Amino acid sequence: MRAILQFFPQRLDVNGDAQNALVLAQRARWAGIDVDLVAVLPGDRPPAEAPAAIVIGSSVDSELPALRAELVGFATALSDWVAAGVPLLAVGTGFELLSHGIQLGTAAADFIEGFGVFPGRAQPLPARASGELVADVREGRIVGFENHARGFVVPDDASAFGAVVRGTGNDSRSEGSRTGSAIGTHLHGPVLAKNPVLADAMLTAAFGDRYGADSHEATRVDSFAAAARGAILAQLDLPIG
Amino acid sequence: MTRAGGGVALRYAPAILLGRAARVAARLRKPGGGSAVPGLVVNRIAPGFLPSVLRGFRDGLVVVTGSSGKSTTTKMLVALLEAHGRRVFTNPSTANISQGLSSALLERVRLNGTIDADLAVLEMDEGHGALIAPRLSPRLVVLTNVMTDQIDRFFDSERVVALLRKIADRATEAVVSNGDDAMLEELVAELPAGVRVERFGVSAGVLAEQPRGLGSTRTSASRVSHGTRVEAARGRTATIEVGGTALTVTLPARGVHYAVDAAAAMAAARELLGEAFDPELAAETIATLAPVFARGEITTVRGAQGGAVEVEFVLVQNPASFQLNVDALDAGIDQVLVAMGSDVRDPGYFWPVDVRRIGRARIVSGSKASELALLLAYQGVEIDALEPDIPTAIDAFLALPEPASGLKTIIFTADPMRRTRAHLGLRS
Repeated sequence: MRAILQFFPQRLDVNGDAQNALVLAQRARWAGIDVDLVAVLPGDRPPAEAPAAIVIGSSVDSELPALRAELVGFATALSDWVAAGVPLLAVGTGFELLSHGIQLGTAAADFIEGFGVFPGRAQPLPARASGELVADVREGRIVGFENHARGFVVPDDASAFGAVVRGTGNDSRSEGSRTGSAIGTHLHGPVLAKNPVLADAMLTAAFGDRYGADSHEATRVDSFAAAARGAILAQLDLPIG
Repeated sequence: MTRAGGGVALRYAPAILLGRAARVAARLRKPGGGSAVPGLVVNRIAPGFLPSVLRGFRDGLVVVTGSSGKSTTTKMLVALLEAHGRRVFTNPSTANISQGLSSALLERVRLNGTIDADLAVLEMDEGHGALIAPRLSPRLVVLTNVMTDQIDRFFDSERVVALLRKIADRATEAVVSNGDDAMLEELVAELPAGVRVERFGVSAGVLAEQPRGLGSTRTSASRVSHGTRVEAARGRTATIEVGGTALTVTLPARGVHYAVDAAAAMAAARELLGEAFDPELAAETIATLAPVFARGEITTVRGAQGGAVEVEFVLVQNPASFQLNVDALDAGIDQVLVAMGSDVRDPGYFWPVDVRRIGRARIVSGSKASELALLLAYQGVEIDALEPDIPTAIDAFLALPEPASGLKTIIFTADPMRRTRAHLGLRS
């Protein structure tokens, strides 16, 4: 049975980000694919077999050094898995630590080195970004909630996850980062539940044609997601896509 | 203690009169509404009004703050003090901001700027509390807990602690603090010398019975040994040890968090009353309390056909209270309505809550119903119907036949709670 890895759920579920792994697991099961939802705990060794998909959520800022120390042992495996095309979703501080690094303050010493999966680095925003974030990505228009004090500098627009329609994201222009099968984003919480098109892209990358999103359960749940997205977009006076 | 002379305090008389006029005007515009407006008027005209009145109580000012449990703890402490013959001024829990507080004071203040009460017990949220704290000198501060809470405004627990510290640092005599909360333990360790610290908490056995702990961001490594301690909590009955006496206390509703709130209130009352504190009277008083707001409130309402229907209201205000309340549901509960409203800006925040015990939701409602439905559905909770409109949902829910087991139970956040109460004609 293939594993869907949920990294450090005790530390990385502040905004429900870790639950995106549950979303992937449930959708796979509804499509008739047996998967294991596996919580990775600090101190675990990386599994020998490449997982089907990986979700790394966001911690609070004060836990960044501890989180970095806990991720060190997984850095090589994560890079290898992404290079091999394993879909990965990283949110908030999890995303930042998988980039080249995090500039915490203005002093050069206030830099936390990242693991280099994503090109670019995090650096402070002029003001905290908190509210709805809408972005157009390859899969379509996605909607979610952002709440972060740092933006992200991408080396070029091509490496961004998408373009900001409303909200802040990286810098009010681009949002997140995408490299191969890995997505880094500021969208907190159940972004894959609200935007099933993203979940389906990850599951198709993991399982190919075996995965189909036409189950009764997925159809019903996606009607809730469509209503939630519709309500948020209507409130922001934006078209659905 | 010296009291402000009439000549000094009378300078607020014009502001008080203007504030009262604003109150009348606000009520004329919107019956039952405008509760913060008069306070806004007074705060604008006489910014010194609030601290000045709050300095004027013979037995001082008590501030209750923390992430959750403030309302219950405040209500319990007020009841305990009143049972011991003290006249207490307190703020309604919906008005825990400075404008609301000034409005509440306006209702009671005399033109010389004093209030006819022995002491004030005020609930303050950490944000607004920290803002007005520098101008207050509370005799006692009660700290309930630090939960990763209210994401929109504070985001992480360190910021909550920093705000609570600003309030606690103002205590002149004592701080009553949750000894099971590791972040509060760190806070009280740094209080100025001369301020006493009294702790409350739970026993190791009680903690072990909570599958997910007590909801604090970090739990202390050890349990309180000196102080007020919850020794057992089963349903609505708790055993609380206060000053060496084990008391059996009937809680206003099920749930260990009420037992902890009761322990906090008892520890604070004992600190304030000293020798006069009567443990037996305290236990009797807690038993007579009605639930605060809607949390666990059982009430009889009119059904769609005019018949009487018994329902239980469960208010959840953050992930921790959602979890505690879901864990406290009877196994196999038959009829549940769950509602989330505009008060929850980011429903994603609730996704860490394990909601499976709900089993089946007859109706999912509120303006955030679709987001709530996603959370429930991915955890395998059956959903019969989605109806964002609260009045329609409530009528349909009450019209369902008698439940096969348990009571009809409505779990809601603050905004759908207000809409539900308004629709059913209940006092809020």
